Amino acid sequence: MSSSSSPNTVELDILGQVCPACMLVVLKEVNQRRQEITSGQTRLLIRTDHRNATVTVPESIRKMGYRVDVAKVNNYYEITVDRR
Amino acid sequence: MAEKHQKPRRDERLAALATDNQRLIAYIRDKTNHLLQVMGTAPLQYDELDDQTLIDLDPIGIIADSFAQVLDFLNQNINELQQAKDELEAIFDATGVGISIIDYDFKVQRCNEKQRQVLVDPERREIIGCGCYEIYCGKESPGLDCPALETFATGRPALARDVKKKEKYFNVITTPFAKAEDGTVSQVIEVTLDITEKKLAELAEQQQRQFYLQEKNTLATVIESLSEGLLVIDPEGTITTCNRAAGKITGRSEAEIVNRSLDSLFPPLAELLAAGREPAGTEFPYQTPAGEERLLAAGTNRMPAPEGEFIGRVITFRDVTEEKKKAQMLFRAEKLAAIGQLSAGVAHELNTPLASILGFSRLLLKDDNLTGGQRERLEIIAEQTQRSSTIIKALLSFARNSSHTGRDRRACDLNVIVERAIPLLTTDLEKRRIELELEFQPLPPVIADPGELEQVVINLVLNGMQAIGQDGRIGISTTTRGQKVLLQVEDNGPGIAAENRSRIFDPFFSTKSVGEGTGLGLSICAGIIDDLGGSIEVATSRDGGAALLVFLPGESGG
Repeated sequence: MSSSSSPNTVELDILGQVCPACMLVVLKEVNQRRQEITSGQTRLLIRTDHRNATVTVPESIRKMGYRVDVAKVNNYYEITVDRR
Repeated sequence: MAEKHQKPRRDERLAALATDNQRLIAYIRDKTNHLLQVMGTAPLQYDELDDQTLIDLDPIGIIADSFAQVLDFLNQNINELQQAKDELEAIFDATGVGISIIDYDFKVQRCNEKQRQVLVDPERREIIGCGCYEIYCGKESPGLDCPALETFATGRPALARDVKKKEKYFNVITTPFAKAEDGTVSQVIEVTLDITEKKLAELAEQQQRQFYLQEKNTLATVIESLSEGLLVIDPEGTITTCNRAAGKITGRSEAEIVNRSLDSLFPPLAELLAAGREPAGTEFPYQTPAGEERLLAAGTNRMPAPEGEFIGRVITFRDVTEEKKKAQMLFRAEKLAAIGQLSAGVAHELNTPLASILGFSRLLLKDDNLTGGQRERLEIIAEQTQRSSTIIKALLSFARNSSHTGRDRRACDLNVIVERAIPLLTTDLEKRRIELELEFQPLPPVIADPGELEQVVINLVLNGMQAIGQDGRIGISTTTRGQKVLLQVEDNGPGIAAENRSRIFDPFFSTKSVGEGTGLGLSICAGIIDDLGGSIEVATSRDGGAALLVFLPGESGG
């Protein structure tokens, strides 16, 4: 897949889940999609309403070498994971 | 029985396995929590995940996979960092400026290759941890002009220009690099820029400028010291520079000369130049503002300029008025000498016939048969012939003096010479009833021709006799004046008028009636005395007559 074309967005809805479950769910998803994301094929969009997760999740995923952005949308948060 | 017996044992085993299972699940939960804590999140809650869900989720596997990614990313970062560090190190060493990191105790923490080349003794192995003042500046402590001192004190960058270290020149800049917990600067980066070449070029330029200034001053002094007048004119013919002599010769101030046209100062010279001629020693008349007429001689030179360009010229000139006057006087003197020579030739030729006339007229006078009238006329012939003879003798003497031949110079006593000359004058003195007073003092010898000196004495006494005419007094005295011998001849005659004093030594100048003097006597004396290195002066005697003072160089110890 060409890295220049915009990636497919894979959504992961963890609304209602709290730490550490949401952390494990997100990590599992990222691990499984490692190739897709690092090749630029896929972007992961996580929806969460657990505020702590907007701190712990991006921190861990950044340490794994990804680009993470957090945005507040209505009454929940959107965390996007892209390759660096 | 056996079945009964087996059942409790299986229950026991099941219970043991259940316990084991509980222990293992607790272990998994504990390790999972440990890992979650490392990941920075909260521990697991029992109500959140039951045991079966926990095992199905496989959190340890998830975290292990994530850790693998973290490790990969970490390794990648480490490689990139190492590469960046290597690059930075290369840049640090390859840069053209010396860079050094110095801590608060002025100990060197880092030093790049350039800094080492420029400021560190090549023999020195260890630099890190040594005092920067010692290895860079060769001092025992940081100098007050050290910019690092200022940066540590103020926390701001500092610059020191033209710092001399080990015979080289630098600009040194320090900037804060690290800060201590209290916010003060703990390390500075010192950047050293070697400006030796630039500085040396500057110094050389300064030296050269000084050299040219010195040369310019020398030239200005030379120009000012010239006795010749000097003008510099631009291509339009305007005077741009003049020296002191130019002002003196033209009788104008420098301000009056500079910025005026050459045409208005020296019209004849400007005309020549306009006609395309180069004056060289050209003479032209000039009138000073005070109305004094002067004769100037000028030469010019074009100013050195690239070919095809004309940037002006230099004019030098001098006042030749006096020179011309002297040349004219010399010309006249030479003419007089020529006349003298000619007269001598004629005189010599006349002497013989005159002797015959005198001899025969005297012979005739002895004849007793002469009438009174004849005798009277013969006496006139004899007397006039005698006078002619005297004039001729004087002319011959004048001519001999100009030729200087047959002279015999030796040490002689002036007193003896005066005594020897007196008998020759006695007859004449007695006839005129003139009393002679003599006063001699011992004298050193003078080097002269005795005959010439005798002639001087006779001429001076004759001069006095002619001035007195009849009845009077002539005094001759000798004495010494320092190294000189003084002969003084004075009379009580009418004296010499002030307006004639400068002319009495000129040949043929006479105040006496025609026939009384030749006008050559004093001129001959002056010639002889001048030749001996002496001098003759005219003064007034104690009783209003003339006094002639002759100074001759005395021979000391000789």
